[in-house]
Amino acid sequence: MSEINGADAAGGPRLGGVGLSKSFGPLKANDRIDFAARRGTIHAIVGGNGAGKSTLMKILQGLQAPDAGTVLVNGAPVVFRSPNDAIRAGIGMVHQEFTLIPGLTLLENLILGDEPRRAFGAIDRRVAGARAAELADLAGVRIDWTLMEEEAPVHMRQAVEILRLIYRGADVLILDEPTAVLAPPQIRELLALMANLRDQGNTILFISHKLDEVLAVADEVTVLRTGRVVVSRPAAGLDKAELARLMTGEPVTAPTAKPATPGAAVLELDGLGTGGEGAVALEDFSLVLHAGEIVGIAGVAGNGQDQIVGLVSGLMPTLRGRLRLAGQDITQHSTRERRALGLAYLSPDRKQEGLCLEASIAENLIASHQRKPRFGKAGFLNPIAIAGYADERVAAFDIKCASPQQPVGALSGGNQQKVAMARELYDSPRVLLACQPTRGVDIKGIAAIHQEILAFRDAGGAVLLISEELEELVQLSDRIVTIYGGRRTGEFPRGAAAMERIGRTMLGEVAA
Amino acid sequence: MITDILFSALVMTTPLILAALGGLIHRSSGIVNVGLDGMMLLGALVAIIIASGGNWAVALVGAGFAGGVTGWLMSLGITRLRANEIIVGLGLNIAIAGAIRFYLKAAYGSSGNLMLPDVSRLPKIDLPLPGALGAVFSGHSILTWIAWALVPLTAWVLSRTALGLRLRACGTSAASAAAIGLHPKRMREGAGFVAGALSGLAGAYLSIGVVGLFNEGITGGRGFIALAAFYFGANRPWATAACALLFGIFDAVQIRLQGRGFPAELIQTLPYIMVCVVLLLLGLAARRRAQGKAASHG
Amino acid sequence: MKYLQSALTILFPVAIVLVIGAAVLLAAGYNPLTVYSDLMTEAFGGQRRIAASLSAATPLIFTGLAAAVAFRVGVFTVGAEGSLYVGALMAAWLGFTLTGLNGWLLAPLCLLAGAAAGMVWMLPPGLMKARLGIDEIVTTLMLNFIAIGLTTWLVNGPLLAPGAANSSTPQVAEAARLTRLMPPSTLTTGFLIALALLVTYAVWQRRRIGGYETLVGGLAPRFARAAGIDMPGLMLRMLLVSGAIAGLGGAIQVLGPIGRFVAGFSTGYGFTGIAVAILARGNPLGILIGAVLFGGLSTAGATIQLFSDVPIEIVNILQGLIMIFAVADFGLRGWFARRTARQTAAEGGQP
Repeated sequence: MSEINGADAAGGPRLGGVGLSKSFGPLKANDRIDFAARRGTIHAIVGGNGAGKSTLMKILQGLQAPDAGTVLVNGAPVVFRSPNDAIRAGIGMVHQEFTLIPGLTLLENLILGDEPRRAFGAIDRRVAGARAAELADLAGVRIDWTLMEEEAPVHMRQAVEILRLIYRGADVLILDEPTAVLAPPQIRELLALMANLRDQGNTILFISHKLDEVLAVADEVTVLRTGRVVVSRPAAGLDKAELARLMTGEPVTAPTAKPATPGAAVLELDGLGTGGEGAVALEDFSLVLHAGEIVGIAGVAGNGQDQIVGLVSGLMPTLRGRLRLAGQDITQHSTRERRALGLAYLSPDRKQEGLCLEASIAENLIASHQRKPRFGKAGFLNPIAIAGYADERVAAFDIKCASPQQPVGALSGGNQQKVAMARELYDSPRVLLACQPTRGVDIKGIAAIHQEILAFRDAGGAVLLISEELEELVQLSDRIVTIYGGRRTGEFPRGAAAMERIGRTMLGEVAA
Repeated sequence: MITDILFSALVMTTPLILAALGGLIHRSSGIVNVGLDGMMLLGALVAIIIASGGNWAVALVGAGFAGGVTGWLMSLGITRLRANEIIVGLGLNIAIAGAIRFYLKAAYGSSGNLMLPDVSRLPKIDLPLPGALGAVFSGHSILTWIAWALVPLTAWVLSRTALGLRLRACGTSAASAAAIGLHPKRMREGAGFVAGALSGLAGAYLSIGVVGLFNEGITGGRGFIALAAFYFGANRPWATAACALLFGIFDAVQIRLQGRGFPAELIQTLPYIMVCVVLLLLGLAARRRAQGKAASHG
Repeated sequence: MKYLQSALTILFPVAIVLVIGAAVLLAAGYNPLTVYSDLMTEAFGGQRRIAASLSAATPLIFTGLAAAVAFRVGVFTVGAEGSLYVGALMAAWLGFTLTGLNGWLLAPLCLLAGAAAGMVWMLPPGLMKARLGIDEIVTTLMLNFIAIGLTTWLVNGPLLAPGAANSSTPQVAEAARLTRLMPPSTLTTGFLIALALLVTYAVWQRRRIGGYETLVGGLAPRFARAAGIDMPGLMLRMLLVSGAIAGLGGAIQVLGPIGRFVAGFSTGYGFTGIAVAILARGNPLGILIGAVLFGGLSTAGATIQLFSDVPIEIVNILQGLIMIFAVADFGLRGWFARRTARQTAAEGGQP
């Protein structure tokens, strides 16, 4: 396979980039990124959410064209117009969402699209099986190739995703958070597989924010933060604390908020637990949220935050534990009943769950309030009352739009999020469950949204803030609770929260 | 008596197997084909027109081709114009039925029926089998045996060949298949041709195999029974064929029982009820699996 | 811009279908322009013809509405045909059984019972959809065939009119019959009920909380759930409403033009209703126009036979093709969607 890619091509690193930049409106997703992954190495790309990793991957795959800068293959500039161009250059990608096809065996998934054949187009199963066994040996993994995709354990599917790229001739593998869905022993196995493949001359781009794994396996590390390269250096000599500091940065602004004056407990999570396939299970999670305080949940993505959101919002059924809101047991309450008791929910997925993009601003603003007396009587909606309310909210939250009748989808990301905020904070809720409140929002928008959250707290509201932006959590939260592998690992009051200590508990160390 | 019923059950099963296998192939590629009935009707008409004063083999080719082109066009509407497959299928049935009646009136001045001279009927194969075996299996048309031969062939192609593998891949996950360089749209269009062609043959079997004339009700909704068969057979060729055989037996029994006070209309609804029951059981099983998974965790 | 877009998305498929129809007519040796203009004259030229067209449009308004209310919340039912049949049979049965009742009581009772029967018929697929997430398209399609088989059996056996050879019930009591608006036309007060229902629907979708909840639920189901809307329950309710409307439509055919239940009385009203609803994109005025057009076409097709040799079946071809092309995406919507995306990007949003 390596001859396709010119194993002996002169000079240059196998895959690299010079000055790669990409903006979405005022948001600079990638800002003059330089990196070079040498042949036969594992090159880690590290950074938090929004650091620009996924945009960079899209550029390297030919899914997005950079605004400026060049992709280099074997040291020579190339232009990828489509994923096929990247594949032809020997670059294959394993996404976080698997692309194996259910209903097919693992072997069938491996050979799909390039099947060894006998007469009449029949698949030569003997050749295919031998090739598969050889690949598994090469990578040092055990795979039962006869399993159907949906029956295979997740680490086997993960390995097949990777081996399939090699089978199809790739020697540069881009792995996007490959350990996110794996349990610790399987993670060790995957890291060993990566090392084996590297030793056979493949080049691996390892995208991760799990620092232990990066330090365990990477030869070189490039750290991204807010779209820029912070550092690009050999992994040797780097320790976890240093890497965490590089990744999260120092808190740039001292906490601006007044100290909180917590009141009575309004939301109590008591021993919550979930099951669930593939994902991390939440285990015995307890937390008490008081009026007038912001509690942040800090953790690397996929360590149980989604489950907390699902259970508190009522979108996921509670299997274990109890929930109380304003003294009432809401464990079995529907989302509607919880909202009636004063729960507001700012969704992390603005486009699908937080807003209805095809509906108008006004229609989005009344969602969840539509049955309140202000907006109508006896099941009828009052368009005049709704229009008045929409004008009032648009003005109060400074939403830039032509008219409240405009579809929300036509607004910028920041203004869309303001619409969602304006709706959720209406009618003085008791608790705001705010998830990734500033994701995909530009700097001006971020400031405005932070203001609103703090103002809500100062007026006596309770906020459960879930964010992947550590900086945001430190700025806003009166307390930070860290979570790892579905369990609570620590709690830090405002100010005392040294970034580094939070970082360590986010990585599984239990705070004393 | 019982041999008569079994013989006619095999006759009734033939068009069901052909159309159901076509529907199965189309569904494996990712499209639920509700237009099988219309393609069958078209095949029946084309076959009898060509076979009148002509040759049954040419008639079969013509019927298969006409059905195939229709199935291909239908798939184009779904793949390229992103039309809803069910609505297109239903619309196609209405349009084809209308077009055929229009044609019969415009070309032959007849309303819904067509009797032509010198129809070259499908040849029947006499097997030298003794007694009851002979009574059941001897004297079937060549298309009956082709239909049954297509069952293992389809099973083999789907499970053992590169083409079948790709077809299933495109049907299950078009995006994943496209990501590795396959062409799900073309695959679906090709499968649409096959589905239409097999339905066309099923229609030809009815017109030049069974009755020797054409009328607008000749399919008797068998395209929808075929739909029930491949749903019930869950995309497995042998299970689908077994289901078609079961429906064929229903059909044969029902004809015998008519006039003896047995409710033929109710028996005819059995395939449709069975589809609903199967979907219900699958849904219940899926829920139990999901609950089991959630409970076993943590 | 919005109106231009709606007009284009509706007119474009109709234009394509007319062109194909013209080609078919030409091939068969007819002048398409004459045929089309004859059809228009027969459908809408003069009071009696308009009355006939409106009468033919009546069941299509019901089935079109039945499809539209379910589609609005994202339930893709094709089961109006089945509900229409069971609703019709229920109305007929009460209509010829309870002959002792006063007309003011009997007719509403029959109509309500028809609606209830149509509603109950949609209960199994509704529960399967809401509780187990089972695809409603296949179940409702199958239920159509079951309804047709079941009603045909009933009117051939237990409910067959004494002495009648064909599959039909006895006539309903004269008291139950709906009043004819313009005798001898078969246009009855049923048409007025259809219009009233259309107006109700128009008000409901713009002014009622249910109209709002189905709108956002159909456009963005996860958003609706997060806003506290009970989506499975809403889907079930709308499917039941859809069944009730179709059942009412069937009852009105029985108490109106037909006077009894005849097996196979529907010429695919349920399916044409789907075409009407899709073509109208759920707009009440669009449903009315679509139903009158399809209804006019079918009556014109029937009368045109009397004086010309043009086969009426051209109308079926046009209906089927409109169904196909109404759901096809000719890139018009895509074109508008891309425009909006570009504008969004220009205003600084993420794509």
